Amino acid sequence: MKFIAVIRQVPDNEAKLRIEGGRVNYEGATLILDQMDEWGVEEVIRLKEQYGGEAVIVALGPERFEEAIRTALAMGADRGVHLVTEASLDPITQAQALADTLRDEAPTLVFTGGQQSDWDSQALGPAIAEALGWPVVTWTTSLELEGQGAYAKAKHDLDEGAEVVRVALPAVFTTQQGLNEPRYPTLPGIMKAKKKEIRKVPIAFEGKVETLEQTIQERRRLNKVIDGTKDPVAAADELVRLLHEEAKVI
Amino acid sequence: MAIDFSLTDEQKQLQALARRFAREQIAPVAGEYDRKEEVPWPVIEKLFEVGLLNAIIPEEYGGLGLSMLEEVIIGEELAWGCMGIYTIPMASDLGITPVLLAGSHEQKSRFFGQLTEKPALAAFALSEPGNGSDAAALRTRAVRDGDHYILNGTKTWISNGGEAEWVVVFATVNPEARHKGVVALVVEKGTPGFKANKLHGKMGQRASGTYELVFEDVRVPAANLLGAEGDGFKIAMNTLDKTRIPVAAGSVGVARRALDEATKYAREREAFGKPIAEFQAIQFKLAEMLMGIETARAYTYYAAWLTDRGLPQAHAAAIAKAYASEMAFAAANQAIQIHGGYGYMHEYPVEKLLRDVKLNQIYEGTNEIQRLIIARHILKG
Repeated sequence: MKFIAVIRQVPDNEAKLRIEGGRVNYEGATLILDQMDEWGVEEVIRLKEQYGGEAVIVALGPERFEEAIRTALAMGADRGVHLVTEASLDPITQAQALADTLRDEAPTLVFTGGQQSDWDSQALGPAIAEALGWPVVTWTTSLELEGQGAYAKAKHDLDEGAEVVRVALPAVFTTQQGLNEPRYPTLPGIMKAKKKEIRKVPIAFEGKVETLEQTIQERRRLNKVIDGTKDPVAAADELVRLLHEEAKVI
Repeated sequence: MAIDFSLTDEQKQLQALARRFAREQIAPVAGEYDRKEEVPWPVIEKLFEVGLLNAIIPEEYGGLGLSMLEEVIIGEELAWGCMGIYTIPMASDLGITPVLLAGSHEQKSRFFGQLTEKPALAAFALSEPGNGSDAAALRTRAVRDGDHYILNGTKTWISNGGEAEWVVVFATVNPEARHKGVVALVVEKGTPGFKANKLHGKMGQRASGTYELVFEDVRVPAANLLGAEGDGFKIAMNTLDKTRIPVAAGSVGVARRALDEATKYAREREAFGKPIAEFQAIQFKLAEMLMGIETARAYTYYAAWLTDRGLPQAHAAAIAKAYASEMAFAAANQAIQIHGGYGYMHEYPVEKLLRDVKLNQIYEGTNEIQRLIIARHILKG
């Protein structure tokens, strides 16, 4: 059996990004394997450990993505395929670019992050499924194989609940918090990863969505201080009113 | 273009691993083990699982064969989480190093094998109740008896001494010969007559176990002698020339933690209507800390680089160790000052930094001994 995780490299949550010339400047930012993709990596390694076969990492993106592939290999994946492009591609075009490679690899299943933490898009997983004509299960929190890999039984989150489904394989799954607890890439793993294969495939797709300008949301503090020293009850009422009516958080 | 400060991708990854490990597995429990004065075995087990324990053992003996540069990259990160906890793997490397330098193939296979199969530690026993810096004045006696040495005496301040699978013990076959009479013997845990008593009441680094070791007619196989009779003193000194570089790295880690904590606090704490980070008095302290961290790290890397290239490095190791530990003590002190009264309380992590890093100025050769080594280097020419 073959289990594939499609991964991306994104800025660390704590990275301070700057805009230069209308574009995000990644220079100096710590770039990491997208956390939601990391759950996918952990899951394909676990599946390989449980059912045998191969855990393969596929990534589409610039040269720098190789670091994220190496991290996944250090965690225990067997090899990587890197579709190299410096172009910025929208998720639908990415899925089309990935489809040929994924079809050729003929995997049992494909995992990818439920959401891409840099563009906050949730499109990649469903778009890959669409491009391949395979079923998709989003926001997966648990998965087991049935019938020697002919089916998977998966639990996945819905807006206000969850459901358990049986899906014919091959299929695409997207990750959700709770799926697993990713392991550390161990030191021996890091050293072995150096010798594992990463096949580089240059691609020449052009995006259908062109990015004209990027901005970063700036959150300004309102610095509203409620004086609770005179009338604490009235102050609490005012706090609740502000949280409810203005901040709309309760 | 001979000089190059860049790390390889692999080194960046092991740095990221050690950083994450320190943040997630060490820092959250550091305060608890400090209070309990207890060795954190669950942390040691996890260090073993991710491959960060005893990683300097060469690959042919089941280790990872890490270079000194890689060791210091990891050391800085782990010490950021807790210097006391970092001392445990560091002191194990201190025990491993004499075997690495002077052990035969048979000895390396036998002793390293015990450290790579399961979470296990080594230790190094040189200091005695009556001698520390004057290492050649040791009084622990080794008397040859057929295929054995009979060991009698007491060692003290031995990190990991009670936990270790084996301890490299320095003893003398002839006290009058001073350093020419010293032997290095590997004594295994459980050898009859060998007792380890844990020392309590340490100021800092309380997560690392410090022991007094007592030897009463302990029969040690002559096959456990490292090198020849009389080589012991040289083995001890050559070991410390290497292992004090990780002490420097640990100091850099403590100082970086001090700066991180002080910066965070200075941004949040307000006085006279604005965050104290906006006052020059605070800014100068932060700047001073970074000056120390950057210079100490760069020099520690240099000492490691010399070591990895097999170049003379005793003076560099001494400079790195003394400079970095004094810099880190000052940084921890300033971090407390920036925190004011809160910095003096256990509730905030900065007072522990000062207590912990004080030991870096004492162990593996006091900073006064480092200055002697440096002065000899100047005057020998």
